[in-house]
Amino acid sequence: MGIEAVTERSNKSLSEQSVLGGHAPRTQRTGDSLPFNDELHLQAHKWLVDESYLLDAQEYDEWLSRLTDDVHYLMPVRVTTALGAGYSTSPGMAHMDENKYSLSRRAARFATEHAWTEDPPSRLRHYVTNVRTFRTGNPEEIIVDSAVLLFRSRGDVREAATVSAGREDLLRRTGSSWQLARRTIMVDEAVIRMQNLAIFL
Amino acid sequence: MTDHSGVIQDVRQGMIPAHIYNDKEIFKLEKERVFGRSWLFVAHESEVPEAGDYVVRRVLEDSFIISRDEHGEIRALFNMCLHRGMQVCRTEMGNASHFRCPYHGWSYRNDGRIVGLPFHKEAYGGEEGFKKKGQTLLPAPSLGIYNGLIFVSLDPDAEPLEDFLGDFKFYMDYYTKQSSGGIELRGPQRWRVKANWKIGAENFAGDMYHTPQTHTSVVEIGLFREPKAEKRKDGTTYWAGNGGGTTYKLPEGSLEDRLRYVGYPDEMIARMKEQWSQEQLDVVGKDGFMVSAASVFPNMSFVHNWPRVEEDSNEVLPFISIRQWQPISEDETEIVSWFAVDKNAPEEFKALSYKAYLMCFGSGGMFEQDDVENWVSLTSTAGGPMARRLLLNSRMGMLENGQNVVEPLTPEQYSGPGSTRVGYSEYNQRELLLRWANHLERPMEKTAQVHVGSNPVQDCPADTPDSFRAPAEHNGHAPAVTASKEG
Repeated sequence: MGIEAVTERSNKSLSEQSVLGGHAPRTQRTGDSLPFNDELHLQAHKWLVDESYLLDAQEYDEWLSRLTDDVHYLMPVRVTTALGAGYSTSPGMAHMDENKYSLSRRAARFATEHAWTEDPPSRLRHYVTNVRTFRTGNPEEIIVDSAVLLFRSRGDVREAATVSAGREDLLRRTGSSWQLARRTIMVDEAVIRMQNLAIFL
Repeated sequence: MTDHSGVIQDVRQGMIPAHIYNDKEIFKLEKERVFGRSWLFVAHESEVPEAGDYVVRRVLEDSFIISRDEHGEIRALFNMCLHRGMQVCRTEMGNASHFRCPYHGWSYRNDGRIVGLPFHKEAYGGEEGFKKKGQTLLPAPSLGIYNGLIFVSLDPDAEPLEDFLGDFKFYMDYYTKQSSGGIELRGPQRWRVKANWKIGAENFAGDMYHTPQTHTSVVEIGLFREPKAEKRKDGTTYWAGNGGGTTYKLPEGSLEDRLRYVGYPDEMIARMKEQWSQEQLDVVGKDGFMVSAASVFPNMSFVHNWPRVEEDSNEVLPFISIRQWQPISEDETEIVSWFAVDKNAPEEFKALSYKAYLMCFGSGGMFEQDDVENWVSLTSTAGGPMARRLLLNSRMGMLENGQNVVEPLTPEQYSGPGSTRVGYSEYNQRELLLRWANHLERPMEKTAQVHVGSNPVQDCPADTPDSFRAPAEHNGHAPAVTASKEG
């Protein structure tokens, strides 16, 4: 996912254009991607890999603790438009356009004994790759691009479902660790081939 | 094809052969006889507000360009070039004055009329060979619009849309006409589920009975204050025209109190009072019922609900969603789900209503997640031979002798049209499947074909190689001539 992908239709980022992203941090990347041996890149990569293990295991309380209070979690709906149309997301519609509270409700629901869609739980595997890290104007914040492929298998009858996406994350330093302050998920399909999004990317 | 008269007879008695939810032959018949002639929702006018705006929508395998032409008129054009049949529009939305086929460059205005046909004179001999004048992309055989909702039917003789909707229009207005501005649609979200299309349509039409069990979790997390078992059965199911739905019972109070109870701000309530008829207002203000989910035969649904969406607030926010259960196969459905909101609603209301939609319904919605899990499971179970032995009982609300458990509300008790009952029942699911059975039983009329560009007087061009001709004709030619032409 290039920088263009998250700044469609105007110079505003998709997070800025989204209906519910009014609270989101606005920090943007500066300069080229950092070398792979840069300390910031190593920390960012480790953060994403650790996160993917939490998401595979559905340890959502721990995952939520790694999100900032002002987090914006956005997954636009992708649409097929002409080359040069200048946009590839549905205006005003997303699959998810979340803040910390709405994410916490989703996590809380999985913790009840009545979230049938994840009982029995799915077998999940998040594959994270193509990681690039960028500095921003704020020394306490970095931008991280990554590609994610989620494999999700339920029961023993149906075929597994996959979803592929590019992500742009804003990580903010909090003491000795990092927290996710903004995530824009560019899913690679116009029609999701998964029965629901009772998962996180 | 197998004789399905037994299935039809069972369905008419409210006994559902379980295999109809995953049966290749039944699906083939549905495609032909249900989707081949029903009114099907494709888009809303607000999705194509300006001249040249278009969206591309499917009616099963058929792709239609829904465009607003230069005169502001809504068109539904079959997305197939008149020359070699290529899709002339391969995007799903945009703005265009013309559509140009990428194959040979034929081009069409956004009202469907052909404008460009490269080498018309050199290749076809002009109008004498191919009548370009008056040629147009094939329009949908029937097109109808109600409250800005655009429907098409593949039946050129379909009854007018408003006649088809009939008294259901009374209820549709609650979702799509809360002020003179009508609604604006956003989306759709689209996703595919391995479930038969009928299950969702039936569920939205009348299944109040599933709410307390399926949706326990959303009450537990504080998202929803309503769906306690005893709460849901105080509501009604209604069937009117070719659609039906469910309502919630509202607490005592005035019309205004009750609309405020589900979260509408006063300025929207004022506009509803201007817009709705006295009977429409009385269903809420006098009778105390508020519409929730609904379906129109065969595969369009509505939902209206009012969750709590903000932290530390007991306020609820109502949202409206419109959807289509687009059949892909006997065991797969593409759910096409839009968020709808009154065009004149305050911006803050629109944003929070959208948030309510995202949290509850759609691809990531928390209500929806558990529904789909059930429907997928049901569908896969219905595919085997054991399911053919089961006649599922869909007679809830009716005794074995056909007597009603609960009688319909009288005009004194209820101000809306149709047949309305308090409590759990499966009248609406039966109404939906009754129409389904009627369609399956009725053979299709033969449809007219369109000859593109010419009406040939001679059925075989002179220089066609003989091997391509019909055998009788082939025998009339000397083999040597054939050989020299093929050489």
